[in-house]
Amino acid sequence: MKNEILLSAFLGFLLLAGCGDSEVQKGPTPYEFPGIFYFPKDLNIPEDNLTTEEGVLLGRYLFYDGRLSGRTHQDSLMSCSSCHLQQNGFDTGFDHPEFTSGRPRGLAGTFTPHYTLPLVNLVYNTNGYFWNGFIEASNPQYGSEAHHVPAEPHFHMKNIESIVWMTIVDPNEINGSIEQTVQVISEIPVYPPMFKDAFGSEEVNIERITKAIAQFVRTIISNNSKYHQYIEGKTVLTESESRGMELFFSEEADCFHCHGGFLMSTYEFFNNAKDSVFTDPFDRFGVTGDIMHTGVYRAPSLINVELTGPYMHDGRFKTLREVVDFYSDGLVISPYTHPLMKYISTNGVQMSEEQKDDLIAFLKTLTDHQLLTDPRYAKPSDLN
Amino acid sequence: MITFKRILALVLGLGILALTSCKDDDTKTSDDLVMLDIHFLHYGEGQPLLFDSLIYVNEAGNKYEVTEIQWFVSDIILTGPDKTTSITQNENIHYIDTNIPETSTWTISEGVPVADYTSLTLTFGLKDEKNTVGKFTDPPEANMIWPFHIGGDNGGYHYMKLNGFWIDVENERQPFNFHLGVGSVEEGGETTFIQNWFEVTLPLSIAQLSKRDTVVLPVVMNVENWFGNPNTWDHDVVGPKIMKNQTAMRMGIENGMTDGFSIGNIEIINHEE
Repeated sequence: MKNEILLSAFLGFLLLAGCGDSEVQKGPTPYEFPGIFYFPKDLNIPEDNLTTEEGVLLGRYLFYDGRLSGRTHQDSLMSCSSCHLQQNGFDTGFDHPEFTSGRPRGLAGTFTPHYTLPLVNLVYNTNGYFWNGFIEASNPQYGSEAHHVPAEPHFHMKNIESIVWMTIVDPNEINGSIEQTVQVISEIPVYPPMFKDAFGSEEVNIERITKAIAQFVRTIISNNSKYHQYIEGKTVLTESESRGMELFFSEEADCFHCHGGFLMSTYEFFNNAKDSVFTDPFDRFGVTGDIMHTGVYRAPSLINVELTGPYMHDGRFKTLREVVDFYSDGLVISPYTHPLMKYISTNGVQMSEEQKDDLIAFLKTLTDHQLLTDPRYAKPSDLN
Repeated sequence: MITFKRILALVLGLGILALTSCKDDDTKTSDDLVMLDIHFLHYGEGQPLLFDSLIYVNEAGNKYEVTEIQWFVSDIILTGPDKTTSITQNENIHYIDTNIPETSTWTISEGVPVADYTSLTLTFGLKDEKNTVGKFTDPPEANMIWPFHIGGDNGGYHYMKLNGFWIDVENERQPFNFHLGVGSVEEGGETTFIQNWFEVTLPLSIAQLSKRDTVVLPVVMNVENWFGNPNTWDHDVVGPKIMKNQTAMRMGIENGMTDGFSIGNIEIINHEE
């Protein structure tokens, strides 16, 4: 009899465990990232914010909704898309209607410390975000005095989620408050049902807002440039583009050691010989405290580089020509210059005008025109 | 009812079997394994290398410093009188990056058989069949990419990037990139690719192992030897870059083959004690 009871309990347990509750409660649908054979397989997705279709949709609305600022007056609206324009590869770009210098200003009128970086292919970057890599999975810090984020345990500085709440409270950006943002978003009728679809209940809170936006941003993938089509054997390059590619991937111009791979960046950090005097507190040294990281910044991806100027962390170069001219004969040595800048004795790689033309022709093959109008990443048509 | 009892007995029986199969067995068999931790060390003039320190002088008299070393080791084989053991873990490829401290140890979690070993053979870089374009898609290995047009189909990645500075004849601090990989020679409009990887066999002594041991095996890269013996490497002559200079790469490769590597003091940790 005792054995029968044990067996019944065992079988009953098996039955229950086998059924689960998938039939009863339908959760959000997992989002499937495209398998691109030449891109990394290791995706930067935190375990507590797995990507779902519903989360991405909600994130897309919030990304474009100026009321993320916690305000509703037309002059006080600001969201991620205020600075990161789809038509400019999700960077600010040269031709921003409001930020004509290419450098964004927050709602309080002050400039951001650095020029923006494009919000493209971030899911493949496992080496920290921002020009200095401050936002990084192993960062133990909570909050950020420099960005006015309170040092509270839920304000980690580890991933794209962190960047969203930094943006909301940073005086150089939205200059708002988390409470205001949550309040305003929760009062917009379209959102509570979307939060329920994405997170299981209609509750609107900052954690969910940041998670949804981060989910959407992670889905913005750019791999349809002419160069990527060339890699896939779908097109051919012109003679000038081919010569430019050969220069790019040679030690003669030596772009590839920092901007190599199919993401057109190693996402590593370098002092690329721009300066001999250093005053920016937000360089890599400001993060690591390693003196050799003075004047060191991330090598950004060059995908869509034609659209993502002005260039460098401080936007000092307005055109691709100026960038190429700098690497040709504008280098300045300092004790912190990275040894990959090996042409320092001649102030650069000394390219001919024809070589510069070829290199720029190649750089322009990195523009992903499909991304610029892709409806998956566009402002929802029913969002004012 | 009888069927239910039989099922229960079967479930319990299998459970007991599974549990007892995990029990430690003190009897040494030919399948006994030891753990192996390979430590990759970088030495300058017989001591751990001090990075970013302009204190070294090579055979040519160049004062130099090293800022970082990134390289691939592969096809590690331990050989003894009665046993040859080739690592299969991670396709027998390991990436070492002095900017990423955890890469300096390769823990062979699959273990190696208990045996006496008298030598270690390693491949510097990657052999042709392992060096295919697109083999690595994730960093940091993917960042070792070697351009297709100077490496061909089987020259996908640098074997090594060793970056630093030297003081040139005009007393200026100049960067150098000692980058090794597949070479290319152009003649008559044709490009010939030259595989520069090499194997080196280093004597060692590992004996009297028992199965609870962990062997800590230091493989030392002797940096200064890559710039001397048999070829004197003068940065002022060779210059800052060598990726398309097969003659220079060959000089470096020959130096590395000669005494670029050695085995450090092997430690055997017995976990029973």
